[in-house]
Parts: sequence; C-alpha cells; structure tokens
Amino acid sequence: MSNQIIQGILLGGYYALIACGLSFMFSVMRIINLAHGSLAVLAAYALWLLASRFHVSPFVGLLIVLPLMAAIGWALQRFLLERSARGGALLPILTTFGLAIVIDNLLFEQFGADTRSLAPYIGSLSYDSWEWPGSIYVGKLAVVMFATAIVLLGGLQLFLTHTRLGRSIRATSEDPDTAGLVGVDARRANAIAAAIAMVTVGLAGAFLGMRATFDPYAGAPQLLFAFEAAVIGGAGSLWGTLIGGIVLALAQTLGAQVHPQGFLIGGHAVFLVVLFVRLSASGLGPRGLLRLGKTS
Amino acid sequence: MTHGIGSRSTTTGLSRRQFIATSIAGGTALALGGKAFAQAGDTLKVGFVSPRTGPLAGFGQTDGYVLDLARKALAGGLDLGGKKYNVEILDHDTQSDPSRAGQLAKDLINNQAIDLMLAVSTPEVINPVADACEAAGVPCLSTVMPWEAWYFGRGAKPGAPSPFKWTYHFGFGVGEFFKTYISQWNLIETNKKVGVMYPNDADGNAIRANLAPLLAKQGFTIVDPGAYETGTTDYSSQIALFKQEGVEIFNSFPIPPDFAAFWRQAAQQGLIKQIKICQVAKTGLFPSDIEALGDLGMKISSAAYWHKAFPYKSPLTGVSGTELADGYEAASGKQWTQQLGASMSLLDAGFEALKASSDAKDKAAVAKALSQLKTETMIGKVDFTSGPVANVSPGPIIGTQWVAAKEGAKFPLDYVVTENATDPKVPVEAKLVPYNG
Repeated sequence: MSNQIIQGILLGGYYALIACGLSFMFSVMRIINLAHGSLAVLAAYALWLLASRFHVSPFVGLLIVLPLMAAIGWALQRFLLERSARGGALLPILTTFGLAIVIDNLLFEQFGADTRSLAPYIGSLSYDSWEWPGSIYVGKLAVVMFATAIVLLGGLQLFLTHTRLGRSIRATSEDPDTAGLVGVDARRANAIAAAIAMVTVGLAGAFLGMRATFDPYAGAPQLLFAFEAAVIGGAGSLWGTLIGGIVLALAQTLGAQVHPQGFLIGGHAVFLVVLFVRLSASGLGPRGLLRLGKTS
Repeated sequence: MTHGIGSRSTTTGLSRRQFIATSIAGGTALALGGKAFAQAGDTLKVGFVSPRTGPLAGFGQTDGYVLDLARKALAGGLDLGGKKYNVEILDHDTQSDPSRAGQLAKDLINNQAIDLMLAVSTPEVINPVADACEAAGVPCLSTVMPWEAWYFGRGAKPGAPSPFKWTYHFGFGVGEFFKTYISQWNLIETNKKVGVMYPNDADGNAIRANLAPLLAKQGFTIVDPGAYETGTTDYSSQIALFKQEGVEIFNSFPIPPDFAAFWRQAAQQGLIKQIKICQVAKTGLFPSDIEALGDLGMKISSAAYWHKAFPYKSPLTGVSGTELADGYEAASGKQWTQQLGASMSLLDAGFEALKASSDAKDKAAVAKALSQLKTETMIGKVDFTSGPVANVSPGPIIGTQWVAAKEGAKFPLDYVVTENATDPKVPVEAKLVPYNG
C-alpha cells in the first residue's frame, strides 16, 4: 500500500504540471482555456519532430519549443482571446473550444493517426526507477516531473509576488481599469501572462510525451485531469494546484484499491465533493444556484 | 424486442397524410417512366464506412490506398451476367464516432440508395452501421471486430435462430483467439500463470467472459485483478498483484496510451523481469504503437487478422499479400499494416457477393448471395455456409511477434509470424522469442 501511495503522490506532480497553465490562465486572465490539452499535445509533437527528424533530445528541444510556445501564447492573447473577450465572458471559452478542434485536426492532417511518444528519445529514463526497501519503486521520470512541478509552481509564485512585472499582472487580473490608471499596460500584462501560461503548457506536453503516448486527439483527456486538479486545488492558487494534483492522484489510487474500476471514479468523486463544498461555502449551494437562475 | 417495437410503430404510425404523400411520390416516379430508372440501374453503388480520423484513425489510415486499388480495378465497370454496371464506391469517415457512423449509414441508405454496405473496423463503426442496414433492409457486410460482439452484442441469443436477415460479418472471434493463444503460449516453457488486464469496454468484457474460462480449462492460471477503466494513469495495484502471483505470461486488450502507461510502470516496478510472453491485442496492431514504446516494445507478441505472408490473392484487384504491402509502402512511405489486407478482403468479399447474386440491383438477391457466399479473399476463406451461427464466417488470427528489423531495413521493426493454428496455410516465419531472454 505504501508503494501505491508514493506512486499516487508522484502522479500528483504530473497532474499539477498539466494543471499549472490552466490554473494560471484562469487566475490571471479569467479565461478557461479549453484548448489547453490540445496545445500541450502540439508542444509534444514539436518535440517529437525535433527528436525524430533532427535527433534533438526532448530536453534540449525544450530550449526551442518553449520560446515557440511563449510566442504562440502571446499571439493567441493578442489576436484571438483579447478580441473574443470583448464579446462577453462566454465567447473566449467558445473560442478556445474551437481552437482545440482546429489544432487537433491540423495535427491529424500533418502527422496522421499514428501513436507517438517521446520516451524512445530519452533512453531508459521513462522506465528507470530506484528500488527502496519494502519493495517501493520510485520512477526516475516521475521524480523529475515532481521536482519540475515544484520548481515551476514555486517560481511562478515568486515571480507574481516579488517582481514588478508579476505585480502588474496581478493588478491587471484584480482590476484592469484601476491598474491602467496607475500606469499598468493591461494588454501587455495579459499577453505576457498568456505567454507564460503557454510555456507551462509546453512543459506539460513534454512530460505527457515522455510519460505516456499521444496522438492528435490526445488533448481532451489531458484537459479533464488538468481541470479537475485545478478545481480541487482552488482555481487560481498555484500551490493549491500542486495540492489539487496530489489529492486527485491519491483519490484515484484509493479508488483503485477499493475496486480496479474505481481509479477514475475516485478522482471524479473528490472533484465533485470539493466543488460542492466550495459552492456551499460561497453561499452558492444548490439552492444558491437556483436563486441565481431565477433572478437572471 | 426492439425489432417488434420498430415495425409496429412504422405500420401504425403511418398517417393518412404520409400515406397520400408517399403514394403521390411513388406515382410520380412511375409516371416519369422507366428511362430514369434504367439509367440509375446501370450504376452499382457500394457504401464503405470506416474510421479515417479520430482516435480509431489507425484503422482507417490505409483505406485510401486500398480504395484506390479497388477503384482502378473497377474503372472499366463490372460485368455481371452479361450486363455491364458502372461501380461507384462511396467511402465515408465515421470520425471514430458511433452515432456519426449510424447517421452516415442512414444517409447512404436513404439519400444515396446504395446497393450494398461495407463497414470495417471496431464495434464503434460496424454495429451502428449494421443496425441501420438491418432496419432498412439493405445488405451489409463487415469485418475486423470479434464476431461475438457483433452477433450477441446486437441482440442475438445463443441457441436461438439468427435474428439478422440483411447483415453479415466475417473474421476472428474469441474461439480463434483461444486457439492462437494456446498455440503461441505453448511455444515457450512457462509456469502457465497469466496476468490479464482487460478493460471495461465491449472487447474487454467479451474477452473476460468468453476467453478467460477457456484458457483456464487448458491448464493456464488466470490472474485477473478486474476490469480497469480506459484512461487510467496508474497501475500500481495491478502490478503488485502480478508480482505477488509470479505471472510469467501477460495478456491485455488495451488502447495504446493505456498500455504505454502500464508497461512503463511495469518496467519501473520490476514486473517485466519475470514476464516471458507479453501478448497484447488492440495495441500493437500497427507498428507505430510499438515504436512509441521504444526498447520496451521489442519482442511483444501480437496476433494478426492479416499478414503480408498470407498466401492469398485479392480476387478483386489481383494483388498478392506482398504486392499489397510493398505497394502501400511505396505509395505512402509508411510501413505496411495488417489493416491493408482486412479492408481489401472486405471489398473482395462484397464484390464476390454482388457477382454471385442473381440480380445485383435486387437487395434481397444480394443478401441471399451473402448468406451463401463461399469464396477466397485476401485474408483467405470467407464461408457463410458453415459458420458457428448464421450470418457469421469466422476468420483467422495468426500469432505474431514484433522484433527488431535486420540491419539496413527501411523500418525499425519487423512483424513475424510465429504460429498458424487458425490457418495452417500461412507460413510460420520465426520462432517465438521470450520477452526476457
């Protein structure tokens, strides 16, 4: 059992990684990016292309792909999300939904249906492990992912609290108009935030590709786990995302202990419980929701 | 049951207005005369439904090439009983979505007025198409899914006469998997303990219910941790059980992402050191699934519903197994896959049935020809006269193994035949190598 718990915690690191960009974008820009999973798969394909055609290790490939993802994020905000945000709160969500479909099908056109993975290009890292006493196995890649999650989330937290740019991004997310009054360029802050979010998505894509396999339509399931981890951790809180990832993974592990089919259900159950507790705590319980429905 | 309800609603549900409208339409068609009708009659329309995009796109990847070959062979028309027909193959993509498959089938039946429906690959494509054809009275032929899931999965009862008049299916079933696995697993000395991972889906549940008991009777100990959900990302508890039980054979029917996650974790946690045979179905049908696993993919055992070593020729296009595989590799730059032969055999059998029917434009005659079809296709024998149940012709599934290709080969992997229990005419090419050995 202790082995399973350790595997669960390490898996939580992976979930936190894939949830990080989603949570960041929501907290800063108030946008739920439904193209999150597809963009991660896009990054995975870019790394795969570099590795299979030009023999660039995926870790080195990140030096090329992450700036590229940042540029995509910037462009996405400037040309797509910013414009659609003018049409109301719902429109950006629909835009990202459409974007996901476009990305999936472009990837299919370009790369076909074949299953791909980055694991063949990182030697035996994808399945190497340390054996601890008590037949506990700690996967090396899982440890790398967990460490990356901590560094990434911690770095983002430090950046947001201690740098001028970070503060201006936070100010924009709190109140763009007032931030503008004190000289913060809201457009710039949002575009930079989108670029940062896409860098984290690029990292998530890299680890998705190393850990498992991907194909052009692999984005949606990733989005689901990312979304659950982000919500459990409290959308918008970075450390909460790590906690959310770990809670999700442990709930799944526990679910699998109860019944082999309980793996996904365990995660979904915790997600729903957290959601309801949150809604009740904020006075928006089931009744609150009904009240809202009546008045609107 | 569903048939009863459906037919009742159509008879009682026909309103006076509908009746008049239909009679007028019918009358107009008759009045417009035989000429238009005769022209339409000169063209045979065949629907071909497969998953070309979406998660099942691996199955449909080679269909473009196979259809090209078929269209070339049929370019001059089809000569049936001294009458020349133009042939139009209307191929459609289900986008891996079962409800879309059903809609496509209805569109082909109602708006295109097809004479024969062909459906290929996985229950998600075939079952909705076959159901639409059965309801509309259009002959339908399909292949590539376990026939039990096609026959019993659509409401047929064991022991009762077949409820299907219009739909026919050929290819492997659980019985063939059983023969193949016994033959394959006895090639290597093991403790006969089999760890199985069957997912909670149509294939997985059919295999758990039907195959596992047969294997147990042959002296294999089945260690089954229970069904898992597709999309699971951590398999520690199953791995712990397999290690504790000391299984030496592993068998699974997973989709590629699930298997990659499982097998890497099995390697991390030291399970694969004890595995002598890793027999995987579904994942590993196509070379890219195995390439994605890197070193861990080598020596994984598989089973093929077609292999380029099959000694048969396609009656429709005249190509042999190696010609089909080499032609695809030359045209696409990609490695051949077993789906090539399966899709080709479906076209083969479909057109053999049209040729054998007394009138290819008469749907009842085509369905009758299907029920009596006994021919040889790209995958070998297709014979509806002697199946285990009516409407079904079982086909082979040949034991195979993925091995590293020889130096200088065009592709990194080679797919070799290791046993031939379900079709002894297929030559065995190599000896099964232990996964760890």
